[in-house]
Amino acid sequence: MEIKNIKSSDIPAFFNQLIGSGKVVLAPVLKKSGKVFFEPVQAYSQVATDYIQTGFSAKSVVFPKVEVLFSYTKTEEGIELKDSIADIPETVVWGLRPCDGSAFNYMTEFFLKENPDAYYAARKEKTTLITVSCAKADNACFCTSVDLNPGSTSGSDVLLTLMGEDTYVEVMTPKGKAAIDTSAALFTASEEKNKDEYLAKIDVKFSMEEIKEHIKTAYDSVEWKNVSMGCFGCGACAFSCPTCSCFDIQDEGTQNKGQRLRCWDSCGFGLFTKHNSGHNPKTNQTERRRQRLMHKFKYSVENLGIVSCVGCGRCIRVCPAHLNIFENILSVTE
Amino acid sequence: MTPLQTKVAELFENGTITLMIGFKSALTKLPVPFFFNTASQVEQLIFTPECKGNLSVYLHKPEVKQAKKVGLLANISTLRALVQLTSENQLGDIEKTVLTMNAQNEVVVFENMDEVEVYVQANFPEYSEEDKKLLEQLNAMTRTERWQYWTDQFSACVKCYACRAVCPMCYCSSCTVECNQPQWIKVSSETSGNLEWHTTRAMHLAGRCINCGECGRICPVGIPVHLLTAQMNLDIEKEFGAKTGFSCHSGYALNTFKAGDKEQFIK
Repeated sequence: MEIKNIKSSDIPAFFNQLIGSGKVVLAPVLKKSGKVFFEPVQAYSQVATDYIQTGFSAKSVVFPKVEVLFSYTKTEEGIELKDSIADIPETVVWGLRPCDGSAFNYMTEFFLKENPDAYYAARKEKTTLITVSCAKADNACFCTSVDLNPGSTSGSDVLLTLMGEDTYVEVMTPKGKAAIDTSAALFTASEEKNKDEYLAKIDVKFSMEEIKEHIKTAYDSVEWKNVSMGCFGCGACAFSCPTCSCFDIQDEGTQNKGQRLRCWDSCGFGLFTKHNSGHNPKTNQTERRRQRLMHKFKYSVENLGIVSCVGCGRCIRVCPAHLNIFENILSVTE
Repeated sequence: MTPLQTKVAELFENGTITLMIGFKSALTKLPVPFFFNTASQVEQLIFTPECKGNLSVYLHKPEVKQAKKVGLLANISTLRALVQLTSENQLGDIEKTVLTMNAQNEVVVFENMDEVEVYVQANFPEYSEEDKKLLEQLNAMTRTERWQYWTDQFSACVKCYACRAVCPMCYCSSCTVECNQPQWIKVSSETSGNLEWHTTRAMHLAGRCINCGECGRICPVGIPVHLLTAQMNLDIEKEFGAKTGFSCHSGYALNTFKAGDKEQFIK
């Protein structure tokens, strides 16, 4: 790790230099709806700075809502197949939060550990994550309960922490170094500083160690019904989640022309577990929501050694029923 | 205990209800729909202006249909949904007790749907000022502009189907998007398929939507999707003089035929 300093007033110049480097730059943009989403931008003036969290996470940069795996065209000579990996652009994600940065650790384990996924690998390789620490939080934020904090560097290539006139820069990876080097003159060496006073204060809602222990026997808790009956069965939580990575492979087209797609899917949907025979092992929303929460706090720990909830709070903010994951996980592990 | 909590506890104790669908407060301070099973849980029951959710959606849940006697805490949108659902013969088997708080902050327990209908007609909600303004803006656009507006909006849709999930009138046990043989609407989320989905949904709800606005309020992307059906309701009212969620007995405009209707094709 390398520590640098940049004048906060020089941030726009650094940002615009990144755009000048020819990469796609995704940054938070304030939409008419009042929500903030990552979008490709052309100048720093488009970037939202006053936001707690983006509506959706940055996962779409490595796991798009629809990924074209390949396309085919029938010609007189035969069938022409086109692999889409070559089209993946070099991308910088700017302004994601430390929780989202750490979410990439899980995504990488999920997509690359057992059966490495070429599309994810190519996208991740071409992505640089420039994260900005949180100075503000809301009552849905709970990163401090899942062993992270508003200034975590884990998973990010660069972490920027605004400290008034100066911005503290933690350069974590060679990709991060390359991003900084696009504006080398703007960065000066810095000694290590304590970031705490510049970070949001977020209460610890639960002890991760206790949850990990108690969730081992939580499957049969009668509380699942209480915490899940309100679930409407939509995919808002899964689609906004930075680590939900389930997908549905779809073929679209005709016999002459078409494509194979990988689309976001959600365990909250009734169709998610429906078998071809018509049998559905998950018959109600209580079982589906239990699956989602158990996956975050138990199954992903068993399978990949990682709690796959980063405490970003999005599922709480978007839930039409305002269901609260940390409140629910406490109820079922009591 | 609040008067509402006392009343609901009484309903549990005298056996009128065995399940109460209401709201309780959560750590995030936002009301959460909750299914109360005993009088002892009722102390958590709340009903505040933030309780905007339309709890009538839950009447379609298999677990609720199985419960013998259901209590339902209703805001005005929920009451309107109940009226519309009744007119569509969707609530026949459920033995329900509906409660609300009136403008004087008194607990009202409805004896039957006729009483709900009277209450709804006396307190019929207007379109919000914000929605009126948005609809005016949309109607002032040219067709091309309006097409562009909705194309832009729906390009961001991720097909989470939250709009469908929270809609009390979206009660089909199997939705058209869940049919894959043949596949009417693409599973993937992209602009044309998203438009296809939202157009299908709007057409299906034309003259049935009860204007609760939940689909627009909860869209995680912030698409004002409720405006589509809100406009259609205005059109239906203009053409057929029919208000949605207004009468338990009138059916809905696009599903009924009257001898005096001006259209000739059906005769």
